[in-house]
Amino acid sequence: MILVYDGTFEGFLSLVHEVYYKKYVPHAITKKEPHANLLDEVVTIEYDEAKAVKVFRALQKEFPKEAQKTIMHIFLCDTNPFELDLLEYIKLGFKNQKELQNINNPHVFTIINLQKELFRHYHKYSGFLRFEELEDGTLYAKIDSKFSLTYLLGAHFVKRFNNQNFIIHDVKRALAFAKYAEEAQVRSVADFELPSLSDEEEKFKKLWQTFFKSVAIETRKNERLQKQLVPLVYRTYMSEFIETKVFKVLLFVHWIYC
Amino acid sequence: MKKDIYAKMQILSDSAKYDVSCSSSGSENNYKTGELGATHNSGICHTFSADGRCISLLKVLLTNYCIYDCAYCINRASNDIPRAAFSPRELADITINFYKRNYIEGLFLSSGIIESENHTMELILRVLEILRYEHRFNGYIHVKLIPGSDAVLIERVVRLASRVSSNIELPSDASLKLLAPNKTKEKVLQPLKLARDLSFERTEKPIGMSTQLIVGATPESDFEILKLSSVLYEKALLKRVYYSAYIPVNEHKNLPALVDKPPLLREHRLYQADWLVRFYGFGYDEILSQERPNLDEALDPKTIWAMQNLHLFPIEINTASKEELIRIPGIGIRGAHKILRARRFQRLTFEDLSKLKISLKRARYFITCHREFQKEVPLYEETLRRALTAPKKTHMPNLFDVSGITGEL
Repeated sequence: MILVYDGTFEGFLSLVHEVYYKKYVPHAITKKEPHANLLDEVVTIEYDEAKAVKVFRALQKEFPKEAQKTIMHIFLCDTNPFELDLLEYIKLGFKNQKELQNINNPHVFTIINLQKELFRHYHKYSGFLRFEELEDGTLYAKIDSKFSLTYLLGAHFVKRFNNQNFIIHDVKRALAFAKYAEEAQVRSVADFELPSLSDEEEKFKKLWQTFFKSVAIETRKNERLQKQLVPLVYRTYMSEFIETKVFKVLLFVHWIYC
Repeated sequence: MKKDIYAKMQILSDSAKYDVSCSSSGSENNYKTGELGATHNSGICHTFSADGRCISLLKVLLTNYCIYDCAYCINRASNDIPRAAFSPRELADITINFYKRNYIEGLFLSSGIIESENHTMELILRVLEILRYEHRFNGYIHVKLIPGSDAVLIERVVRLASRVSSNIELPSDASLKLLAPNKTKEKVLQPLKLARDLSFERTEKPIGMSTQLIVGATPESDFEILKLSSVLYEKALLKRVYYSAYIPVNEHKNLPALVDKPPLLREHRLYQADWLVRFYGFGYDEILSQERPNLDEALDPKTIWAMQNLHLFPIEINTASKEELIRIPGIGIRGAHKILRARRFQRLTFEDLSKLKISLKRARYFITCHREFQKEVPLYEETLRRALTAPKKTHMPNLFDVSGITGEL
């Protein structure tokens, strides 16, 4: 049996409700209508507020705080097919909340590791995210990450940039965390046109690239290690790497045509 | 001639890069409403340079003018190299702007000695005051204390910095005399002792301090180096010692001849041993001794220790204490925690350990899992060494491989 839900947290809670009351035993849970073969039974589960709220209350009552957080975190790992494991994790918690600590259980192990992976990404991006200063002094960062990190990163940067206005823009998910004055929240972004950058932006970018280049020690050069520590997927918006990439492309073009 | 700011940045970061320390970890999370900057307990790497080192702090010299003439140092007075200096305000401005763009966690400020020790220290203090008081900056600031400057100045710097350090550079007084005639170990440690006493007086968390030792420029053995570090840790003088494989930048009659590769593996092994001392409860004399003064390059120090102490092995995974678990080669703090957590629910087997993604590459020779144990390699030093250092078998199947079982292509 394949269950289909709308991909939202609330939708998933409704699904948990149905699994309990209709005794479904799914072997897959998907966000979109699957190309199932004839033998698979496909059930689409509609979001139902009453059911979702009921499950949510039960989670709050039965699960320890840590596990509740884990469930929320797993939902940020939106590119990972976590649904079946999460369903088992929730079922296990309702049965016996002590078992949620048992990492010998493959579902618990998967969930805990997925959460760790999320934290790893979050930690990496807390260092690798790059802001640019806009004309009005707002700091603006683009992000293109595997998991949805705007919430976590937003909270992180509210602490550091407490007297600044800033935006973290998740390009693919069309989400943005914006902090203006005292207000901070995640909004969806339909269409965004980047205002012009401040006059000083170029200067500091160039200074940073200068620093980045000259701080490396030639006799210890180890680009493989560098690639292992800053994998290419993180480099999309990191100016210190963009410049060298352009240079390499230019070299390549030069090599072909000259 | 007035240099433009890019040239200054190039010169002054180039001169600072041989300092290994770049960590921003170990400080409290300390953000304040309405202010800029916070430190992060685990430290954050903001990028990695082409040599694979973490860049966490803006590591620059305030100036590379220097009145000293230390043989190993690129900035020694007798070297003919381009010189430059930031003004305190200029440097504070760059720091703030780098921080706002999330390029860095903060500043790592060191300096050549310009005019006098006190004058240099005053300039550094000025940078700190601009950052802390004018910009209300709470991010990380690491300052290299200038040996020989006044206690009053050091005290003021210590109050504003997140961490201070002073580089011993060479592990013995004799070597210092040979290569750094203007320094003695006493003089180098003086600011650190002062800073320690200051922070003991304060009620807050004591300030973190570190130092750096150059490895491979002078004949000291690993034993002497490790002994020095652990004494410094014991005296609560330091939080960390950095080891820096000697990279020749100068020629000098007292320095080893120029070699093309710095002793990176030796540096790596020293760090491993240092970790064992700081986090794994090892004494330096358990790892090395007068008879065995140097670390083995082929195997890590914990494995070597285990092979010297085979009477303690094998260790039973299901009953060993945490202290015993972390002494098993290949099992680290994280692995030990996983084992402790998992065995509350069931008796663990080798298969369970693999499922928990605990590496058994080295550990399997040293453990039992409830009567289960590896049987191929007997527990003797020679056989273990052979098994552990055997080259990896990598077999890439190719198109013309014949299946061993059926003889088919």
